[in-house]
Amino acid sequence: MSEKKNLLLVPFDPVHDVGIRLVGQRLKARGHRVTVLPPDLPASEVVKRAQQDRYDHILIGRTMGYGVAQVLGRLVDQLEAAGLRQKCSLVLGGKAVTPELAAELGFDAGFPPTSNVEAILAYVEGKPLDDAAGALKRKKRDITEKYSYEWRHAEIGRLLETLAEEAVAWSEGVTSPGIERAELRRAMLEDPENKERILADYIRLCDDLIAGHYRSGAPVGRTRIMSDSEVRILERLKVALPTRRLQHSDHHPLCIFFAGSGCPVMDVAHTMVADGWGVDGMILVDPSWNARVEGMMEGYVAQEEDGTVVTGDNVALMKKYINPDLYFQVRFHRGLNTAEYSVYAEHYGIDFGKINPCYGSLHGGTDPERLVADGLYGMRAAARGGFPFDMPGNDELSGTPPGQTFAGMLVAAAIGRRLGARPVLKPLLCYSPYAMLHGQMDSNFIDYNYGKIKALQSILDAPVWCGEPVGFNTHEDDRSQSATTTALHALLADAVGAEALTFASTDESYSRGPIVMASRIDTINSIRTAFRFLGDASITPTAKAEEYRDRVTEEIHQALQCAVEKGGFVKGLYEGCFGDVSVGAKPGRSGRNTVRKK
Amino acid sequence: MNNERQIPKDSVLHRVLDAVDLETFLVCDSETEGKGLALRLLRELGFADGDIVSIAYNGVGVRVRLRGTLYKPGDEYHWDKDVAEE
Repeated sequence: MSEKKNLLLVPFDPVHDVGIRLVGQRLKARGHRVTVLPPDLPASEVVKRAQQDRYDHILIGRTMGYGVAQVLGRLVDQLEAAGLRQKCSLVLGGKAVTPELAAELGFDAGFPPTSNVEAILAYVEGKPLDDAAGALKRKKRDITEKYSYEWRHAEIGRLLETLAEEAVAWSEGVTSPGIERAELRRAMLEDPENKERILADYIRLCDDLIAGHYRSGAPVGRTRIMSDSEVRILERLKVALPTRRLQHSDHHPLCIFFAGSGCPVMDVAHTMVADGWGVDGMILVDPSWNARVEGMMEGYVAQEEDGTVVTGDNVALMKKYINPDLYFQVRFHRGLNTAEYSVYAEHYGIDFGKINPCYGSLHGGTDPERLVADGLYGMRAAARGGFPFDMPGNDELSGTPPGQTFAGMLVAAAIGRRLGARPVLKPLLCYSPYAMLHGQMDSNFIDYNYGKIKALQSILDAPVWCGEPVGFNTHEDDRSQSATTTALHALLADAVGAEALTFASTDESYSRGPIVMASRIDTINSIRTAFRFLGDASITPTAKAEEYRDRVTEEIHQALQCAVEKGGFVKGLYEGCFGDVSVGAKPGRSGRNTVRKK
Repeated sequence: MNNERQIPKDSVLHRVLDAVDLETFLVCDSETEGKGLALRLLRELGFADGDIVSIAYNGVGVRVRLRGTLYKPGDEYHWDKDVAEE
């Protein structure tokens, strides 16, 4: 412990003395001798009291405003005239104080209200500031551990077990080019010395576009491969040390954001900045075209469009630079490379996967049979790798009612459960087209969202992660509106007991360019403010929420009965049990007729 | 970099991570006029690559958020460039 200091704290403000009192408490706790004057003493009295003892530092607390600089300047002059300037240091702190302003006024140091208290302590104790002191100590936790994964609705549970059993048995007898490439990729990762030999077999299973990338190094579409020296710019970015969480209470959900600018370097830069602002994790969003080609590229692939191409090198780059205390999710929920993505996810030890054969096949363009085969491969990888996977209900955005969306989600959950994985339910908190047409959200955005999630929770005891992002379809291009709607939906996620939520930025409705960091920070700050506002209070829905819960539960029941009657999950997808063209759902064609018996 | 010809070699703008947003209110008679003024403002400030992120007209003028892009994802970044001190 350092030498004890004798400190005089002066709340030189007619009203505000809380800040300096809080600093005083910390200083006392460190063992320093602290004298706090009453607030709003005239300068002459402050000088008189400062002369009554030999102080090491005099800390003045004052909110800056019109004319305050002159008042403080006069105080410094009087302290100097009394001979105190030579005996102790003068420190200024308060709203709108900056180190530069404090120096101009004659103070030895200045601390704005956002100052880390550790910085003030370091100054008082005469020590260099330890950058790590005061940094937020985060520890990733397993968001699935407190859930039993027991069925809470016996009849629906029975239907889901029937569908899961059939799907798992079916999947054990089939393969696809995606699965075969995944096995080859696994072999290449495990045996890099023989990579070239294995790669030849891999390329034969790729589309011409991807094969060309390997044979001639030709770029694919609007992608380019960044060089090693280019990505090394990340070495020059200082690591951000977060000092504040977004959550105010322990039950507030984890806050995860989307990255997928198109460039892995920009994604890492954004994640590093967001880390410093206290986010809990990042989701790597890949482009939709990537889901429609057979085969994955290699290298630090960047592209000029939305979504960052998933390559092993890009994932490795992100793992290298992103704070390991952040959750990192890689998605493999919708395309022809689902199986291979899961191999990378397992190999690089990511925290969450994402698989949803229902959404990916009825809204993501992939053939249902193919995506179920490859998706179950991915679930097995998740089980082996010990990482949970979530199933987004993005189908709601196409117009599918949540009953059918959630039925598909629950089948995936049942399958994952059977395979020993730990699925995470990811319903949307959104203003869905279905609700727009049928009026469930005319009154408020709370009841229908709340009720539908309660329906899910009444069926399976599993974690809920609200996505994606929360407040989808409620954002306008005004930044304060956008930040506000995200913040309010964050509170709703807390109200339903979600373990996590995915949030956007105030660029959510801006589609002519990538999301910028300043816009992400807008939203991060809004969430933090909302959680601080609400604390342990909560949002309470009206009685309509129960009605919606019951209605959605019945819709889920009907969808699952349909699938069982049709003969299983895959048949149910083709036959409209989980949505048909009338609600924007249509079986995809990518990869059709590529599944074969082993 | 998207505005390379307009930006001096030692400009602090090289250190912008991605874009500069300008939030302001422009006095004008219509949203159309407001858009024109906003884009002209970006050009006057030296941004060849700019856009209006949001604009809302209320009778007096437009509340507008302008964006001048320095780096798009996948550009060659110069975040570590030496820039002249004043």
